[in-house]
Amino acid sequence: MVRNIVVLGGSSHPELAHMICQQLGIPNGRITLSKFAVGETRVEIQDSVRGKDVFVIQSGCGRVNDHLIELLITISACKTASAKRVTAVLPHFPYSRQSDIPYNKTGAPLAKPSKQGSKDFTFESRPVTPGPHPEQHGPAFTHGGLERELSRLAIERSNDGGVNGIAGTNGRNPNASIPGTPLRRTNTMESLNGLANGSGRASAMGGSANGFGSDYAPTRANTGYKQWVAQAGTLVADLLTCAGADHIITMDLHDPQYQGFFDIPVDNLYGRPLLQRWIRYNIPDYQNAVIVSPDAGGAKRATAIADALGIEFALIHKERRPTRITERQNATMMLVGELRGKVAILVDDMADTSNTITRAAKLLKTKGGATKVYALVTHGVFSGDAIERINASALDKVICTNTVPQDEHRRWCPKLQVLPVHDVFAEAIRRVHHGESISVLFRNE
Amino acid sequence: MSSNSIKLLTGNSHPELAKRVADRLGVELLDMSVFKYSNQETSVIMRESVRDEDVFILQTTCPGEDLNDHLMELLIIAKACKTASARRITAIMPNFPYARQDKKDKSRAPISAKLVANMIQRSGCDHVITMDLHASQIQGFFDVPVDNLYAEPLTLRYIRENFDYKNAVIVSPDAGGAKRATALADRLDLNFALIHKERSRPNEVSRMTLVGDVKDKIAILVDDMADTCGTLCKAADVLMESGAKEVVAIVTHGILSGDACEKVSNSKLSRLVVTDTVPHEDKKKRCPKIDTIDVAPTIAEACRRTHNGESVSFLFSHVMV
Repeated sequence: MVRNIVVLGGSSHPELAHMICQQLGIPNGRITLSKFAVGETRVEIQDSVRGKDVFVIQSGCGRVNDHLIELLITISACKTASAKRVTAVLPHFPYSRQSDIPYNKTGAPLAKPSKQGSKDFTFESRPVTPGPHPEQHGPAFTHGGLERELSRLAIERSNDGGVNGIAGTNGRNPNASIPGTPLRRTNTMESLNGLANGSGRASAMGGSANGFGSDYAPTRANTGYKQWVAQAGTLVADLLTCAGADHIITMDLHDPQYQGFFDIPVDNLYGRPLLQRWIRYNIPDYQNAVIVSPDAGGAKRATAIADALGIEFALIHKERRPTRITERQNATMMLVGELRGKVAILVDDMADTSNTITRAAKLLKTKGGATKVYALVTHGVFSGDAIERINASALDKVICTNTVPQDEHRRWCPKLQVLPVHDVFAEAIRRVHHGESISVLFRNE
Repeated sequence: MSSNSIKLLTGNSHPELAKRVADRLGVELLDMSVFKYSNQETSVIMRESVRDEDVFILQTTCPGEDLNDHLMELLIIAKACKTASARRITAIMPNFPYARQDKKDKSRAPISAKLVANMIQRSGCDHVITMDLHASQIQGFFDVPVDNLYAEPLTLRYIRENFDYKNAVIVSPDAGGAKRATALADRLDLNFALIHKERSRPNEVSRMTLVGDVKDKIAILVDDMADTCGTLCKAADVLMESGAKEVVAIVTHGILSGDACEKVSNSKLSRLVVTDTVPHEDKKKRCPKIDTIDVAPTIAEACRRTHNGESVSFLFSHVMV
């Protein structure tokens, strides 16, 4: 029984909030979350929070923006209702992967653009995604050559009607181009319409990832401007602080640097002990297994587990240099390390579209000769067609925590096993509330 | 030497309005994509430089499931412009979201309008242009300049051109809108009436009484917002019972959520006039009584004046043609 504490659960993950409250031995904070007819989020807090230590639990999943704004409104409501301290508990932190540029690792866009434009792939081209593109322009774009190159491009464009096969460079209002700019701008409306009708917005989320209309093809930055991708990560950090959060508790942030975006304390809990424990008790002869990181970015996370368990480690490296012409569209994956005849345990912080882990699993089985492949991830977002992909993949088992609701995923994916995290969060909340150290939670077994 | 020109950006809330504003301004919308990843996180890609430019982001509030998405889009676009070294970022929000959650009307109620104001500032906006705020005090929630444009000149012109207005009475459907309605009545030199209502729960209306005389007149209901239209339809009933010849309604923000279209179709209202601060093309098909006033000229002129450092107050009393 913990006194003077109110734990409010957001609508993203009510079960987790309920389990945390049970663990703490307190009743759920009474809160009504709904929407007005217009679509504005409505928050009503029934319990008094005056002078209380308030924890709001909201995970970044499902309709991320709705849940984020609901969290912000709840925090702000508690703050204006004289709460002593408001702590935002975000088991899975929304927008945590957008903190780095370019955002092209596993976060496949909801939609894949059309294949148009693939004919002008250069040696350095990557598969087309609406993410930032590598600049195609070589040394021609040095100072002074720019003007010439621009005018040349402008002529080319007007001749063949659009480099990338976008429906015309500019269908309307030919007088509207800004003076001084040699190029006409492409029509944003068309790509927006393509987005709107192609993806069906929210409703299509569970469906195919092939949402964009065919008229959506990202234009190359032929003004010599490298595409600018928003850094929503810092924005979310700012928004939480400006709503009035005094403290953040989260788990396995994609970038540890993310903590630095905040001016308030951030407790980044680790899912690692849970995963380690699972390996210890569920993989027979785990001492002979090999921990595999599916990409270089996660190597540190994977080696930490390998070290703690005293077992071997391997890494999958994405070869970006095209070795043969036919291979250049897909980055080739290379396995670094030996695991023939052994059990491979893939470790990552997050499985979103699950593209990385399924491809890694295939590689481990076919080229690496692994007998079994397990994937252990902290955040099982499983968006798009991730579940179908996992079901069809070479993965034998996928283990994730319930930082994100997994009931629906479990129903469709027999390979999925879920580890509960409520006790970790409950303990963190208890310790934060009493002002005890939480570094004991970071200690490995 | 940099040019510092107007760059107009928009999200997915109201592309048609943005296009019309852009056409009025004689610029092209910035080449950019606003979309969601499969994990439903919003992302923004800009394919043109905004360095040292005067950036205007037009994003209204479109009722429905995506309202919060549109708000996040605005914030992310503003942040992207800020980090891309825009000289000034102006958020154009014809319909301000969460404007009705502007006071702590009961214990622990959130003042979400204040939160939205804070978020907009935090995302990097230096200036806000909006229209007919539900409560003009919301301007005070901001530390940056807020230009609250009025739809009143547009409304006046519409009344003059479309009705036999000498034989009309301006009616406010609630006490809160009395000021707006009297201002309009004064400008047209017309009589004024008021409907007093008691509200038990949000989005529901209970009892109504008419104060004033509407017998054999055209009753013009004036309000800033039509959401579920419960108030307007009931008010129309009351006015017809009181002997009005015809009842029309003119509102700035036609949110028309829920079954508002059906309500209006079946009501005694002969016409519902809204501005296009909120997209409602699909609703017009469902309800032929809806008529639209175009606000793009006003917004475009506000942009132009803001960009050139001219006074905007001209727009408070004049209509752009």
